[in-house]
Amino acid sequence: RIMPVRWSRYNPSYLEPEVKKESYQKPLEELTEEEREHMELKAVRPIKAAPPSLSSSVFSDPMISKFTNMMMKSGNKVLARSLMSQTLEAIKRKQLEKYHKAPENEKETIECNPYVIFHQALKNCQPIIGLSNITKGGKTYQVPVPLTDNRKRFLAMKWLITESRENKHRRTLMPEKLSQELLLAFNNEGPVIKKKHVLHKMAEANRAYAHFRWW
Amino acid sequence: TLRLICTTTAVQRKNVGASGPEKYTEAFIKKQIEEFNLGKRHLANMMGEDPETFTQEDIDRAIAYLFPSGLFDKQARPVMKHPTEIFPEQRKIQWGEDGRPFHFLFYTGKQSYYSLMHETYEKLLNVQKHQDQLIAQDLPLQKEKRNLAGSRWLTKIELEEMLLEKVSDDDYSRFIKLLQKLVALPCADIEEKYIQKFSKEVPMQLQKVVIEPLQHDKRGVAFSTGEGKRKTARATAVVYDSGTGKITVNGIDILHYFPVLQDREQLLFPFQFLGRIGKHDMVCTVSGGGRSAQAGAIRLASAKALRSFVTEKEVEFMRQAGLLTVDPRVKERKKPGQEGPRRKFTWKKR
Repeated sequence: RIMPVRWSRYNPSYLEPEVKKESYQKPLEELTEEEREHMELKAVRPIKAAPPSLSSSVFSDPMISKFTNMMMKSGNKVLARSLMSQTLEAIKRKQLEKYHKAPENEKETIECNPYVIFHQALKNCQPIIGLSNITKGGKTYQVPVPLTDNRKRFLAMKWLITESRENKHRRTLMPEKLSQELLLAFNNEGPVIKKKHVLHKMAEANRAYAHFRWW
Repeated sequence: TLRLICTTTAVQRKNVGASGPEKYTEAFIKKQIEEFNLGKRHLANMMGEDPETFTQEDIDRAIAYLFPSGLFDKQARPVMKHPTEIFPEQRKIQWGEDGRPFHFLFYTGKQSYYSLMHETYEKLLNVQKHQDQLIAQDLPLQKEKRNLAGSRWLTKIELEEMLLEKVSDDDYSRFIKLLQKLVALPCADIEEKYIQKFSKEVPMQLQKVVIEPLQHDKRGVAFSTGEGKRKTARATAVVYDSGTGKITVNGIDILHYFPVLQDREQLLFPFQFLGRIGKHDMVCTVSGGGRSAQAGAIRLASAKALRSFVTEKEVEFMRQAGLLTVDPRVKERKKPGQEGPRRKFTWKKR
């Protein structure tokens, strides 16, 4: 789940809202113990208001809105949102071109849905293990450390955005650069995947220092 | 850690009783009680009422009549209450005449807190022993789960009042974790009475909101109104029961009033959630705030109006989706000595 991080104006007893329609239409028998407890708790506790970026329509996706927020500069959500939609359109166009040019037997393997490509590319970019600086005896060592889900997603999205912002030709637009990066990440190629592999190799090399971690 | 992030005004009173050594002696309090009772009888005589049946409410009304005050703060006005309500409970002196303390944990500094932790841990060990006995006898363990949803633990301030000594945040969170551990064990029903001392009922059920019935137009069309707000925007929405899903804001169509897709998504959110997109017509008025705040205000207003068209279960679903709560987030104020609400001035070494 993608959760907000800093302190909030809500009382700590307020719970997160559940926006998807399908979760309310499930009959009682299919739920597990934990879900039943959670439902009972929700019936008694107050619930926070849904933020403006979330809605129950099919087009809103929490991962995509998180990515849009990270791409946003100085609060210009309109621009960030339009860039995101142009990126998804560009991905769809490229995939459709490939689809029409491909021979009959390969047509089924080509993925055309930009949301699926986005999610898969993010998953491929997520590192499994991270490095953290620990100072011991005056020297700072890079210690391999497990990462939480949130941190992995954040790192993947950050790398994608920085790669597309910096290492490209000056005149190309952001949707173009991003769609290129996402397609490469989807096929496990590209600079972001390389960065992930480099990080993994460093962690593997430094595994002697793993016992420095105390948490 | 359980940090007190947001506190209501009721919870912010300082607990004077737990801080510092004794400030007033028992004899002083007794004198105050006598004076209060005498004063009560005099007041009853003055007002012409019977001194025997003079209640606290009558005292309050009499004082408000005799000493009218224009002060805004209710706590600054003249007050006449029983001394136990004004002077908070204090700890009596913890050591005898020879200087030897009564409690064995006195020199830890937080004697009541540590004795409480010891007691709770003893109960935990008891429950575990009972559990082991049941396992040894091959009897089934009771798996009745306590209904955690309707109760909450004592807040830090309530715990301080109970123990009559200051409790730090860390200590409080440790105590709560120990209680949760105790409750999580299957045979915790034995210590039910002890646990009830530290839990309180949450009166969430009592806040039933009255859903207004549908009103009818001149043409016979059913409609209902709702009001919503977000930041500085205030909106009123009238939802009609007829055909096409047209939405008008301040006399302008939504496509012209909200050029941004996100705002239009927010307006349609309640309708899409209930599956009634083409069935209702909406006319709203909105003022104040910015583009996103107005959209949020209209969303809240339309969700409130839709409650009258829909079954109770669906109202509950809307509440759990976060459609019916007022968003309390507002712009944070700028503080003196800083450039903005959080940003500090540039740090210069010299």
